[in-house]
Amino acid sequence: MRIRLYHAALALLVIMPAAVGVEEDALAKPAPAPAAAGLGPPSKAVTDEILDAVSQEMNRAMAQLQIGQNPKPYFISYKITEVDVNDVAANLGHVTSRRNRHFVNLEARVRVGLDPSNPHKLDNGNYVVPQADEIDAVSTINLPLEATPRIARRAAWLVTDGAYKEALIQLRAKLEARKSSGVRNIDVPSWTTEKPVVSETPVLVVPLESLDELEARARLVSASFRDHPVVRDARVAVTSYLERRWYITTEGTAVTDTRRASGVVINANGQADDGSALHQYFLRYGHTAKDLPTDDDLKAEAKKLVDNLTALAKAPIMEHYTGPVLFEGEGAVGLIRATLAPHLGGTPVPEGLNPTEAKNFGGALTDKVGDRVVSPTLTIVDDPTAKVGGGKALIGGYKIDDEGVAAQRVEVIKDGFLKTLLTSRTPSQKGQTSNGHARRTADGGVFHGSATNLFVSGKGGVPRKTLEAQLIAAARAEGRKYGLIIKQFDDAAVSSAPEFSRRELVQMIKTTDQALPPQATIAYRVYPDGRREIVRGVQLKEVAIKAWKQVLGVSSDTTTYNFLNATESQLQLRLTGGTDDGFVPSGGIESSIITPDLLVNDMDVNGTTAGEHPVPVVPKPIVK
Amino acid sequence: MRWILLLGALTGLAGCPGNGHNGGSSTIGKGGGSGTLPPVPNEIKVDLPNIPSKIEVTRSAPTEGNTPDKRSAILDVMKAENDREIAVLRKQKDPAYYLAYQLVEQRIVNMEAEGGALVTDADDTARNLDVEVRVGSPELDNTRALQDDNNNFNAPLTRRGAVPFGDDKQALSNALWLETDRRYREAVSALGYVRQDQATLSKRTQAPDWSASKAEVYVGAPAKLVFDKSVWVERLKRCSAKALKGAATRGTCGVTFQQYTTYLVNSEGSQIQMSWTHAQLAVSAGVKADDGQNLSRLEQRFGRQPADLPSEAEVEKVIATVTGDLDALHKAPLAEPYVGPAILEGRAAGVFFHEVFGHRIEGHRQKDTTSGQTFASYVGKDIAPEWLSVYDDAQIQTLNGLQLNGFYRYDDEGVAARQVSLIDKGKLVGFLMGRNPIKGFGASNGHGRRSPGLPPVARQGNLIVEVAKSVPRTDLEKMLLEEVKRQKRPYGMIFTDISGGFTNTSAFAPQAFKVNPVMAYKLYPDGKKELVRGIDIGGTPLIALQSIRAASREIETFNGVCGAESGWVPVSASAPSLLIEKLEIEKGFIPHDRPPVLGAPSMKKEAP
Repeated sequence: MRIRLYHAALALLVIMPAAVGVEEDALAKPAPAPAAAGLGPPSKAVTDEILDAVSQEMNRAMAQLQIGQNPKPYFISYKITEVDVNDVAANLGHVTSRRNRHFVNLEARVRVGLDPSNPHKLDNGNYVVPQADEIDAVSTINLPLEATPRIARRAAWLVTDGAYKEALIQLRAKLEARKSSGVRNIDVPSWTTEKPVVSETPVLVVPLESLDELEARARLVSASFRDHPVVRDARVAVTSYLERRWYITTEGTAVTDTRRASGVVINANGQADDGSALHQYFLRYGHTAKDLPTDDDLKAEAKKLVDNLTALAKAPIMEHYTGPVLFEGEGAVGLIRATLAPHLGGTPVPEGLNPTEAKNFGGALTDKVGDRVVSPTLTIVDDPTAKVGGGKALIGGYKIDDEGVAAQRVEVIKDGFLKTLLTSRTPSQKGQTSNGHARRTADGGVFHGSATNLFVSGKGGVPRKTLEAQLIAAARAEGRKYGLIIKQFDDAAVSSAPEFSRRELVQMIKTTDQALPPQATIAYRVYPDGRREIVRGVQLKEVAIKAWKQVLGVSSDTTTYNFLNATESQLQLRLTGGTDDGFVPSGGIESSIITPDLLVNDMDVNGTTAGEHPVPVVPKPIVK
Repeated sequence: MRWILLLGALTGLAGCPGNGHNGGSSTIGKGGGSGTLPPVPNEIKVDLPNIPSKIEVTRSAPTEGNTPDKRSAILDVMKAENDREIAVLRKQKDPAYYLAYQLVEQRIVNMEAEGGALVTDADDTARNLDVEVRVGSPELDNTRALQDDNNNFNAPLTRRGAVPFGDDKQALSNALWLETDRRYREAVSALGYVRQDQATLSKRTQAPDWSASKAEVYVGAPAKLVFDKSVWVERLKRCSAKALKGAATRGTCGVTFQQYTTYLVNSEGSQIQMSWTHAQLAVSAGVKADDGQNLSRLEQRFGRQPADLPSEAEVEKVIATVTGDLDALHKAPLAEPYVGPAILEGRAAGVFFHEVFGHRIEGHRQKDTTSGQTFASYVGKDIAPEWLSVYDDAQIQTLNGLQLNGFYRYDDEGVAARQVSLIDKGKLVGFLMGRNPIKGFGASNGHGRRSPGLPPVARQGNLIVEVAKSVPRTDLEKMLLEEVKRQKRPYGMIFTDISGGFTNTSAFAPQAFKVNPVMAYKLYPDGKKELVRGIDIGGTPLIALQSIRAASREIETFNGVCGAESGWVPVSASAPSLLIEKLEIEKGFIPHDRPPVLGAPSMKKEAP
C-alpha cells in the first residue's frame, strides 16, 4: 500500500484574497485560531516539546556533526508529518476494506557544500547517485503516536546522522560525475537563499468522518451495481484524511500547516462484446464530506457508469482521425493534466537521471520563459493559496510548501506567453528563488516545483453548444465527416483492473508507449446533424507542448476538478494502483484544475483494442 | 528457478491453528538400540547411553472438534459456485479437471512500543481469495514446469483477491466468478506452452503433476481473540522502556494477535472450515557495533490467546536476557573463520535441521529440474547416525509443554495433517509431500502449504529430531572439550541462538547452507567461555548430517515462520543439543557504515 505523503487543503471554506508573495510577517503573526465550532483538536503526537527536542538535536548536529575533514552540514531541515486516514471500500453492497491508519514520520534532509564560504553554490542536492538512487541525503523514521520527547530526540539524532552520511556520498559522486560529463549551467547555485518563516500556531481542521459514516456510504453506493449483467466488477472507495506537517530548519524556519480532504471513488468495469476491457470511473474530492455529492447524486453517478458500460459494450472502435477535438469538462482537465501541467515546473531535471527518465520528467518549457508557448487566448495561473475555484472547494492548496516556503499565487502564462515557472528551492537559473511550489518528489533528493491549484482561463469563451458547432465546422474544414469530443480520460491510479495473466502483463510492459496520454474513457463522434455516437478505444497520439498553440476556442463554463496526481506513469499505476485490491487509492499529490472546455485543432487519434480478453465461458452469476 | 529458503522469527507472521481441543498427552519416542555410525573419515568413537531424549507431546487429530452445526453460509456459497463453474469448465475444449477455492479471513492486531512509547497500533481484517484451476489431466497439466522459464512466465499470477466481508451470495459469487474466469483463461494459455515445450523435450519427467486426494469435510467452530487493548498498551510501554537501555539504540516490545478463519472448497468434494487464534510477544533490542555490524537480539513467546503469553514478571526475565545479551554482543570481539568441533544448542540445532535438512526433503524440490535434488537418490540409505530419527508432525499441539507453531488440521490443498517419518534410524525414508507427486511418492502427506496469494508447495510443519541415545547437556560440553583436544584445536564453538538462515537448493549454485548465529561462544580447554560475533555457519548438508556425534537428553523448540516460494508459513523445529565433529565457521557479512558520529543525545530529562 502506498501511503500518501503530500496531501493538501485546509478545511476553511473562505475565499482568500490572491496573496502574491506572502510576507513573512503575515505568517509570523497569525490571528489567534478562532475557537470555531466543529474544528478538531491539535495533534497529541507532535507538541512543542517534540519540536523542541528535534530542534535541540538539530542545533547539536549543526554545531558538532562532522566526519574528519569532510564538509559539515550547512543546512539541516526536518519535516514531521502526522497522517490520520479513515477509509472504506465496498463491492456490491459489502465492505472489502475498512481501516484507520495513523502514523507520524520524521524526515531529515541534510545539505553539504563544496565551498564552506559559499556552500549554496555547489552542494549535494538534486543529483541521482548511479545505481544507488536511495542515497539522497534524506532519512526518515517513525515517531510515537503519543508525544515522547526523548524518543523524538533519539530519532532526530539517528536520521540526521543517516542523512549527513548520504549527503557526503552524494556530493562526492556529484563532483566526480561533473568532472567526467561536464556541468550544465555552472553559474546556477544548487540551493536558493530564502527568508525564514515562522508560523507555529496549529492549523485546526474539521475532524475526519467516522469509519461508520464512510462504511454506510460505500455500501449504499456500491449496492447500485448489483444485478447488472454488464458490470463485471465495481468498487466504491471513500476516504477522509488529514495531514499535519511541521518544518524546522537551521535557517530559522519553524512552521506548521494542516491538509484535510475527503474523497469518493466509484469505478466499474465491463467487457465489450468483442472482449475488450472497459473502465468507467467517477471521482470527487473536497475538503470534507460536505463538499462531496450527496448519496442520491452518487447513486445517480453509479447508474451513469452502468449506462456507459452498456453503451460501450456495443460501441464501435475509434478509427484513425486527424482533426479538431473538443475536450469537454473532465476531458479538458485530463488534457491539461497529462500534457501541460507536467511541464510547468521550474526545477531542473535531476543530474544523473537517465535520458529516458529525464524525458518523462516534463520540463519542456524550461528554456522558454518569455516565449509564446500556448494559444494567445490562454492565461494560466497556479494558486496554492486558493481554497475555492469555480464555486467549488479546491484541494491543491496549502499555506507552506514541502520546503517550508510560503505558498504564492503565480501567473505562469499570460495571453499565451510564458512568464515564469513553478519553482522550488533548487533553481534552474541564476537569481531564481522559490515561489512556494515544492511539492513533487523525485530521485535526487529535492522537491520539484509543480502545479497545485491550476487555473486555466481563455478569452472569448462561448457556450458549450456553440463550441460544439465550432468543432463540427472545424472538422468539416479538415474534410472530416464528424468531430470528436473527449469527455474523460482514464486514470490508472483509480480505474486499473489487472485481470491479467503474467504473460499479458509482460506483454503490456514491453509494448506500452509511456509517452502517450491515457486512453479516453468517454468519447463521442458528433455529426453535422448533431447526432452523438459513443466510441471506444480512443487513444490520443503523443501531444507535444506545441499542440497548445492550436487551441481554437474555449467555453464560457468552467470545470473544477480535484484529484490525486500520482508521480508514477500510467503503466506503473496500471500494474499497481487502483481499487481492484479492495483498498482505497491514496498515492499522489492533491491537485486541482479549473478550466473551460478546450477546442484544439490538428490532434492525432488512433483506435486501440488493448486489453482484449475472451468473453467468459461461464456466465456471470446473477442472484435474484 | 532459484529459491533461497529462509527461516526467520519475524513478528507478525506466525500463526497456529487449533481450537483448544487437545488430544491428550502421549509420549513419542522409541527405545534405544545400538547401531553403527555412518562411515565418515576420521570417525571418532563415542559411547552413548541408550537413553532417548525426552519428548512428550499433545496431539489433536484433524477430525477433532468437528462441529457441523457451526457451518458458515460462506461454505455453501463457495460450494455452489464451484459446482456451477466446474460443470461448465469440464466441458470446454481445454477442460478443467480441478477447481479449488480457499478464502482466508485474517484479523491481525499489531501493537509495538519503543522506549516507553507506542509506535505501532494497527488492527486490520482482510479477506483473501485463492483460486486454483487445473486444465489438462493429472498426468500433464498447466502447472508443469517449462524447460526454460527462468522468469516464471508460465506460473499463475496470483493476486490478492479482495473479497467482500459477510456471506452475501451475490457479492461472494461474483468475486469467485471473476477470479475463476481469469485463472481459467491463464491456465489454458499456460497449458498451451506446456504442450509446446513437451513436444521439444528429449527427456520427460515421468511423475504426474497432481495426485488425487480424498474429499474431507470438516467444520471448526469460529475462534475469537480475547484481549484488553488498554492493558496491553500499558504493558508494552513499560516493557519497551526497560528494553531501551545500555548500548541499545532500538528497544521494542510488540505483540501480534491473529484470528484466522479459512474456508476451502474443491471440485473433489472437500469442504473445510477452520478457525484459530494465535498470540505472539516479541522483545527486541538492537545497536550498530563500532565496526558497522548491526547487532540485534530478539526473543519471542507464543500462545493461542493473548492470555497464554508470559506474565509481566516472566517478561522481565526475557528483557534482562535480551538487553544483557545485546550489551555483551556490543563488547564482544569478532571471531575468525574456523573449522572444528561445535555444540549446537537445542533451538540452534532445530534451526540447523530446518535449513540443512528440512528444506531439502520438501518433495517438489526432487522434481524441479533446476533443483539440486540433494536427497533424491538417498532413499533407504544412511544419511545420519543410526540413533537419530527425524519426523514432521503437524498434529502436535505441544511438545514438552510448549506450544508448537507448526500445528494445523488440514493443509492448504485440503489434505489432513499427519506424522511423516523422514529419517528412520539414520536412513532417509520419506519426503514432505503436497499434491505434486514425485517418483516413488505418489500421494500427499498433508504438507501443501502457503500464505494467501501464492500456490502451495510442500513445506515443513513441526520438524522433530529424535534421538535414541543421549547424554545430559552438561556432558556434551565435556565431550566437546575432549574433541577439541583430539582435533588439536585451540577452542570449540557453542551456538545457543540462531536468528535464521538460508539454504540454496538450486542446481546452479553449490548445495550449501548458511545459518546466522546470534549467540556464539568459544569454549577454551580451561573451560572459559568467550562470546564472539560476526560469523555464520556454512557447509553442505550431507556432510553436516554425517558429522553429528552426540545429542543431549533435553529437547528445545524453535518457533518461528519460514519463507519460501509459497510465502511465509508458521513452523517449529525441535531438537536436542548436538555435538558436531566438524563445523565450518565463516566470516559473516558486516556492512561498512559506521555507527552514529555523535554520541546518543542525553536522555536525562525524562529518565524514569
